[in-house]
Amino acid sequence: MVSPTVRRVVVSGLGVITSTGECVPAFQQALFSGACGIGAVDLFDTAGFPCRHAGQVKHRDLRSLFNPREIKRASRCDLLGLAAAREAFADAGLAPGTYDGANAAIVLGAGTGGLHSWERYCRRVRSGAAAPCPSQLLGVPQCTITDRIASHYSIGGHRATIATACSSSATSIGYGFDLIRSGACDIVITGGSESLSECTFAGFSSLRLMDARACRPFDKNRQGLSLGEGAAILILEEYEHARKRGIAAYAEVLGYAINCEAFHMTSPHPDAGGMSAVMSGALERAGITADHVDYINAHGTGTPVNDTTETLAIKKVFGEQLAAAIPISSTKSMVGHCLGASGAIEAAATVLAILRQAVPPTVHYEVPDPACDLDYVPNHARQHPIRTALSNSFAFGGNNTSLVFGRVDRASARTAQ
Amino acid sequence: MTETLITGIGVISSLGIGREAFWEQCRCARSGIRRITGFDTGGLQSNCAGCVEGFNPAAWLPPMTYRRMSRTSQMAVTASIEAVQDARLDFATLERSRVAVIMGTAYGGSSCIGEFFDGCIDEGPQGAHPFLFPETVPNAAASHIAIYHGITGPNCTLCQHDLSAEAALHYAANLIEQGHIDIALVGGSDELSRALLTCYGALGVLNDITVDATEPPVPRLQAGLVPGEGAAVLILEKSSTARTRGAQPYGILTAAVFAGAAGAPGYYAGSHAIMLQALERAVSQAAIDRSRIDQISVSANFSGALDRREYRLLTDFLKGCPRTPAIHPLKYLMGDFGGAGAVRAAALLLSMRRQERLPGLDVEILNTQGPFLPQWQQDCGAAARVSVMTSTNVGGATACLVFTAFDT
Repeated sequence: MVSPTVRRVVVSGLGVITSTGECVPAFQQALFSGACGIGAVDLFDTAGFPCRHAGQVKHRDLRSLFNPREIKRASRCDLLGLAAAREAFADAGLAPGTYDGANAAIVLGAGTGGLHSWERYCRRVRSGAAAPCPSQLLGVPQCTITDRIASHYSIGGHRATIATACSSSATSIGYGFDLIRSGACDIVITGGSESLSECTFAGFSSLRLMDARACRPFDKNRQGLSLGEGAAILILEEYEHARKRGIAAYAEVLGYAINCEAFHMTSPHPDAGGMSAVMSGALERAGITADHVDYINAHGTGTPVNDTTETLAIKKVFGEQLAAAIPISSTKSMVGHCLGASGAIEAAATVLAILRQAVPPTVHYEVPDPACDLDYVPNHARQHPIRTALSNSFAFGGNNTSLVFGRVDRASARTAQ
Repeated sequence: MTETLITGIGVISSLGIGREAFWEQCRCARSGIRRITGFDTGGLQSNCAGCVEGFNPAAWLPPMTYRRMSRTSQMAVTASIEAVQDARLDFATLERSRVAVIMGTAYGGSSCIGEFFDGCIDEGPQGAHPFLFPETVPNAAASHIAIYHGITGPNCTLCQHDLSAEAALHYAANLIEQGHIDIALVGGSDELSRALLTCYGALGVLNDITVDATEPPVPRLQAGLVPGEGAAVLILEKSSTARTRGAQPYGILTAAVFAGAAGAPGYYAGSHAIMLQALERAVSQAAIDRSRIDQISVSANFSGALDRREYRLLTDFLKGCPRTPAIHPLKYLMGDFGGAGAVRAAALLLSMRRQERLPGLDVEILNTQGPFLPQWQQDCGAAARVSVMTSTNVGGATACLVFTAFDT
């Protein structure tokens, strides 16, 4: 267990925007009712693609959520990230002037950044239409949302943007955890933001990794993933710092691990060695044993290879018997694969599961697969005591991250809504 | 802070392919800014950049390995091979899960992104090339390095625009400090591409240099950045691990500080105050007196906003200092790119190993406009024991690293 001298890290604020809900209460409601946000994409033309849907955020005008001065030159990715950040700061009670920005850091995960803005710019140029405004290119770099949030909320400490594709924002939470634990600061803004883009849509389609229907993780007939977009911001805070501010926490971050399969750019190693090692490493760093894990939020993309390999990895870490007893769910079945934001959205889902002592379902699950024979909580959430939970993120390039969250003591915990 | 040493260096840059060639160009202050020949520059605002010339991945990598890589990945993997050889790392005797690969890049394989999307525009979904797509993700280079060497420890890529490599160095040092790893291959890489220069041109941030094949390019001071490309990989190692295996360190990473102020996208922070704060914190963390600093590598890149801020930073920081360190804007020789911080760190460390300071420029040049007519001052006899690297980014972030000499 954690030594009393070790600085503990809690999640003291959350902000989420996804296709299933544009704030934490709505996301939470959808999460535990098994609502699906995957539908037709109208952000760009999907004609000619075998799959034409994704988890697109439904809000018709994200710009209307902000004062125009706040969002000059903002990309869609920036808008999603800023929306989640605003909710998270308010949720954590971090009003301007109430915290020391120099004692706060920001580490976000990113996928494609403002790629959607660049695509629109390129299409305008190629079409020969009136010259597009180049200022929309300012939001293209992945770090723009990090800089925007840091600037808006006067975060003066460490600043970093992690871009390891689908594990980016999970890794950002790990890095944030390290920064607090090492004493570098008391507050870290972590998470990630991702917007749908033509390139990612075309890219996953070209690799034949997309399901023509809404994705069906762990189902025997699964055909691939559904893309998604959204953002989740988790405010990490040193336990005593949050307690002194009178802020109740969602959950405690107990540890994390990252590793690399060093095998293939787009496929996991079939022996599941990398995935199992990262889960084992995270448990070891968290100082807990496998029998203390009561829930796993799976990477669960819905591709045939990922789900089989992740299942095998879980069995390797927990053993057949224990693995069969742990509820496992894929949040991606509801919001799609939000790439750079997925790790943070799933971390948010995991801490909400701990808070509510309930596990969200894997939706669209119809036909059991003999190769995926664990408890995937099909279609309906269920109450379940959760002491500690694992959240997995596995990315292109074999970049794996596992996070371990635990329940905070009753006195410091939030009340479930 | 756990003592972290740098025990190996690999460089692919416009100043030379390989560590030794790079060092020779650095010490003689020869420019790597030249006419771009790698792709069509028709219609671009500038046809000059810090281009890597003569890089042949086939000399380092098997065809099946490099053919599916972007140029960024090729340069990064090649630099990693040189760094691993230099550090005499033998992965057969190391616990590979205790070795990390941490890279920084601003745009990764930008030529692949451009080519991939051109295919989509021209031919619709059928034009999306499945071999190109994996190279469009920024973490491709770090993943290729891990695959090439069989490194199974932490693998991470940081995209912090021009501070990407500095961010990678900070995270790698953090992983060592936290006990996650013993060794890290850490660095930065970026490539020039038509897609990238088109964007820079549209934004009006480029130094407008257009020359024919016979003319030498002359950038203008404070007239816009000169882009560049390249890769460098450093081997960062926990002191006890390095000592046990008898490594020969280049130096010690004594401090790594990041800080940030408000800065709009595409613009630097309003003043140099945060840069000064980061520099003072780093010097304090390193427990050195500023009079002991032998050389400062600045991130000046010919853009007026940055160069003027660095001028003010240095004049404030060095006020009353009895001794002026050599001021070294390496980007004046090799152009600017996201992973450039790793190349700048390599230059400092090579100079420390060779007991020879990098040539410097008078600090006043950072506050000057007009054609860059360099007057590098070489103080070859002077050793470099304390080197500082300051870096600042659009968006408001700033970083400062301190390297000190390793005494056996």
